[in-house]
Amino acid sequence: MGDDLNERIAKAQAELDAQARPATKEPMGKGMGLGFRMAADFVAAVIVGAVLGIGIDALLHSSPWGLIVCLILGFITGVWNVVRVAQSSANTPQDGQGS
Amino acid sequence: MLQVATDPMHQFKVEWLFPENAHWIVGGYNITPTNSALWMGIAVLFILGFFAWSMSRPKTVPDRKQSMGEIWYGFVAGIVKDVNHEDGKPFLPLIFTIFSFIFVTNMFGMFSGPWGHTFTPMSHVAVTGVMALFVFALVIVIGIFKNGFKFLKIFVPSGIPLIILWFVVIIEIFSFFSRPLSLAMRLFANMLGGHVALKVFAGFVPQLVVGLGLLGGVMAALLVMPLLISITALELLVAFLQAYVFAILTCVYLNDALHPGH
Repeated sequence: MGDDLNERIAKAQAELDAQARPATKEPMGKGMGLGFRMAADFVAAVIVGAVLGIGIDALLHSSPWGLIVCLILGFITGVWNVVRVAQSSANTPQDGQGS
Repeated sequence: MLQVATDPMHQFKVEWLFPENAHWIVGGYNITPTNSALWMGIAVLFILGFFAWSMSRPKTVPDRKQSMGEIWYGFVAGIVKDVNHEDGKPFLPLIFTIFSFIFVTNMFGMFSGPWGHTFTPMSHVAVTGVMALFVFALVIVIGIFKNGFKFLKIFVPSGIPLIILWFVVIIEIFSFFSRPLSLAMRLFANMLGGHVALKVFAGFVPQLVVGLGLLGGVMAALLVMPLLISITALELLVAFLQAYVFAILTCVYLNDALHPGH
């Protein structure tokens, strides 16, 4: 009898997992959250580039070339990050994510 | 007095809870609680107490208090299910903890009372930085644990011509290491900036009254107060939104760790 109940629970759980989550109401300010993500992702990549460049320069005494190269790479990464966030939100408007 | 009342950075000062002669020294380290630690502790106790209260005597048809807890849980579970689908289940407790902790500390930070101002732990980069580094380290550990060497595929997107692949890999590595920084910076900068803006605009009220007397009071009532109310509403939204964004990004990064190579 107990096994039967466990089976039924497992079956019901599997059915529950299989069904798509109903589209709930979007949380307020979802676009704003996306904006925060883009802004921080862009700035963070530039800062990482700058720090990495200064570090390379300090190690290799190659000032200012490490900073220049890494900063440009950082900018490219920042733009790439923003494009990716925008793309993932455009592809799956349902959950704003996707991979 | 007026100086303290209008100094917008005063609210972020970390202070020991106990005087110098009562500090807790363990093994050479000063572990005396600060006001930051106090409010983090209160937030944790509040979350535990809230859910204990909400889930006491649970019913099949939830009443009001139980609904609050279930909506809270359902919201976070929804994020995890949307982003991670079935693999996300083991991480739900973690995401729930992160979301609830940030949300409650931020919300407490919006209030003040007889005890003075409430400290906002998330306005310090030390707090948000440790949380971001934890998520970053967790992604690496889980990625390597689950996928082994294949985890490095996270840096190599599929479907890119070989000629520019090396360049894309460099960009992806940059992008990967900018993650903890962007996580920490967004949360800390928004909470810091929001509280400074609130305090600066609120400071206009006493300044106008002291400087212009009755006219200043009328100006403060008509011009500053509506602005202040709308900024407070905006900050309440931001306090929630930062917790939401941190939680959803943790899910996205964990998803990358579980399924590298897109």
